[in-house]
Amino acid sequence: MEFENHAQRALDTASAQGAQYADVRFGSIRDEHVEIRNGVVAGLSDAESSGFSVRALVDGAWGFASSASLDDDEIDRVAALAVEIARASREVQTHRIDLLPAGKFVDTYKTPVEIDPSTISTSERVNYLLNVDKEMRATPGVTVSRAWIDVWHTDKLFASTEGSRITQNLVQCGSALTALAVGNGDVQDRQYPGTAGLYQTGGYEVINAAKLLENARRTGEEAVALLTADQSPSGTKDIVLSGDQVSLQIHESIGHALELDRVLGWEANFSGLSFATLDKLNTFRYGSDVVNVVCDMTCPKALATEGYDDEGTPAKSIDLIRKGVLVGYMAGRDTAATADVGLAGVVRAEYWGRLPMIRIGNVNLLPGDAGSLDELFDGIEDGIYMESNRSWSIDDKRLNFQFGCQIGYEIKNGKKGRLLKNPTYAGMTPEFWASCDSIGDSSLWVAWGTPNCGKGEPLQTARSCQGASPARFRQVKVGVGYGG
Amino acid sequence: MAVDFVVDQTEVQRALDAALGASKADQTEALLAGSELALTRYTHNYIHESMVERNWQLSVRAVFGKRTGVASTNRLDGASIAAVVARASEMARLAPEDNDFPGLPGDGGPLADAGSVYDEATAELPPEARAEAVAEIVRVMRRSELYAAGYVSSRTDTIAVANSKGVRRFFRSADSAINIKAIGPSSSGYAEGHARRFADLNPDALAQTAARKAVDGADPEVLKPGKYTVILEPPAFREFLGYLSWIAFGAQPLDQGSSFMSGKIGEPVMGANVTIRDDFAHPQGLGIPFDFEGVPRKQIALVERGIARDVAYDSYYAAKLKHPNTGHALPAPNSYGPLPLNIVVDPGSRTLAELIASVEHGVLVSRTWYIRLVDQKQTIITGMTRDGFFLIQNGRIAHGLKNMRFNESIVDALNRCELASELVRSESHVLPAVRIEDFNFTSGTEF
Repeated sequence: MEFENHAQRALDTASAQGAQYADVRFGSIRDEHVEIRNGVVAGLSDAESSGFSVRALVDGAWGFASSASLDDDEIDRVAALAVEIARASREVQTHRIDLLPAGKFVDTYKTPVEIDPSTISTSERVNYLLNVDKEMRATPGVTVSRAWIDVWHTDKLFASTEGSRITQNLVQCGSALTALAVGNGDVQDRQYPGTAGLYQTGGYEVINAAKLLENARRTGEEAVALLTADQSPSGTKDIVLSGDQVSLQIHESIGHALELDRVLGWEANFSGLSFATLDKLNTFRYGSDVVNVVCDMTCPKALATEGYDDEGTPAKSIDLIRKGVLVGYMAGRDTAATADVGLAGVVRAEYWGRLPMIRIGNVNLLPGDAGSLDELFDGIEDGIYMESNRSWSIDDKRLNFQFGCQIGYEIKNGKKGRLLKNPTYAGMTPEFWASCDSIGDSSLWVAWGTPNCGKGEPLQTARSCQGASPARFRQVKVGVGYGG
Repeated sequence: MAVDFVVDQTEVQRALDAALGASKADQTEALLAGSELALTRYTHNYIHESMVERNWQLSVRAVFGKRTGVASTNRLDGASIAAVVARASEMARLAPEDNDFPGLPGDGGPLADAGSVYDEATAELPPEARAEAVAEIVRVMRRSELYAAGYVSSRTDTIAVANSKGVRRFFRSADSAINIKAIGPSSSGYAEGHARRFADLNPDALAQTAARKAVDGADPEVLKPGKYTVILEPPAFREFLGYLSWIAFGAQPLDQGSSFMSGKIGEPVMGANVTIRDDFAHPQGLGIPFDFEGVPRKQIALVERGIARDVAYDSYYAAKLKHPNTGHALPAPNSYGPLPLNIVVDPGSRTLAELIASVEHGVLVSRTWYIRLVDQKQTIITGMTRDGFFLIQNGRIAHGLKNMRFNESIVDALNRCELASELVRSESHVLPAVRIEDFNFTSGTEF
């Protein structure tokens, strides 16, 4: 009950100082990381931290403070400081912040875990990655091989002056490998699985599901083969994107565009605004009829799945795009009050000491009906299949984008053909999603996690998911950056 | 009373000594980094977020022969410190040997003096002072019927390193920044300021710069994609150099052959007018005199008058590549190797205003956005212009332009450039504006 006493003390102090609303979050995190690079340990680390933060609302203005010290004096100081900051904010106020009612919740949530990561020793993780690394370097020409495993534990308690008391225990795991080949005047890299590895909620079963060892040699071979592959052409072509590349496309051109704080201008200086303004809700055609996107904070295995977000809102699923039409946004209690939209539980902080803000949750593209990549290739006379992201860039209203992939293959008359290096494609968000005419079915769908999304000032990273299958897009500009 | 590991040097050193004392490893390193960051964000001319974050982290690297392990914690009582040392030692025992690991560095001698880097008034800036700076900015915006978004921040940082070979380092600094995006119905303008002393920042002047750009850029026109003479102001140019630091100016990319500098040390790689250094001691810079292993930072020439000269080293790569350690280690463990964090570009002879006046037909870029690497070996990047993109016609700013995407090789661009004479700090780098010929814009956007 120590946390309960601490929490009540923080809330009482904030209230006594004049806060009309306050919440406090206590947390502890532990990040275990094992990384092998060219046969030696490049990183073997075990980082933990704990502390707390207080958020206070005074006359419609926010204040926030956090600290790593956990004694009564510091709790009093931080709670009072949050109120003092809010009072200062009130001095430059043209808009009064209100909160949408969230309800009172007293609950506990734990990530479902099949294999407790603590049962897999560090030496077992190291030895596995050494074998993965050796497999990659079995191919002559692999200059740098890297493989890593992450295991993240989060314990947190949320308490608010509205009476909520929520305890959560989260486990997230991920792993990846990457092969870099240098030669022929070029540098080429391949990563597996997908672009950022496979990161999901769950225990060590997430690591096992990635099958690094089974795919290490192929990945190394591909990196080396790319050094002598033909340059991917420039022009306008039909393209098929791998599921992990579709995942990144969702993240950048749908996920960020539908964060309501961005829409309302709260991120204008840094992350930017959004073209998907409120006047477009329920009318704007974001994509073709086959494009259906949800934010599902309850999605099993998805990296952002929790029971509640960091302002005590329960996780739920909401529609963002239905049959190609914009129908929703990701909102927090303060922004939702401004825009009159629903909550899914997406307000999250990087850790206990950071300010919670709207973060991309599990923004999933619902599966279509193509049962295989071959079905997606079918009907393409002259196109390109692109896999795994290398570079990603999009303007600060999420319209003009350019993405580069690690590997490409020519598609000729519906068949996968020669290997291509440096494939890139570019476009404008609504036109691009309008060109989507087929999406892989649920057998091809993966809850791809993004472990390192950046947003906010000061910058915070967040863990999101964009579940996706491979998908086909018609008449897209390709080869930009290499003469196109 | 809670112990403050951000500012209390005695307590910081006690924690480091406790870590070293608790270790039975062959060698032990203790790194304590703490910060208190105060930041106030505003948009639509009001404050919507404001915070103070205080945290620290003790990181222990244990060494047994050629084996290393790292563990960290922010609980700094005696039992927690002993526990983190035990975890680091356990990790190290499990690690395979790395034959290239040279052991921890010894005391590298006295530190250079980078001048005063801790201003108490900045470190203790109250939220009311940040709010008042926002109020000043808002007053300027209202005069031009604009609104602003951005932040006002101040921070205190402590870095302390000790190891069992006698290294003992402690550094404390304060820093501050103002960031302004002025927004009008069809345009926006940007200004930023960074200073060790908050009193040296001028919110009113910065706001006027941002506001003028937003007003001048109203009703932007469309520019056809193509190659244009471009002037990148320091915030835009800084992003180019930040990328070069990451992909090319460290010993790791040099060693693995992926840097454009690989195999070219001593050869011309850029225009003869380009000199790029890493200089922690520059009066406008961060002034951190040692790296995260406690080794004194050296001022190094990366590119000198267009010739590739050197890259950044830490103890690992210095031993591996038989090169002097330049003192550029990041905290262990890291995937990137050593990096230069304080880029300084030597100025040219003409002012920014003279550079603009010299352009017959070209563009001015105030700020860039979302730069990403397209091709590492060719140093091709893509990105967008943002918050102040203008057509220059006959030496004068003619009108605002809708933003555009560029694809350009950084190294190629620095073979056809002229640097301005004014040095400006942007984030941790100090650099001038730059004029580049035939800069490649590939597409446009709607705003």
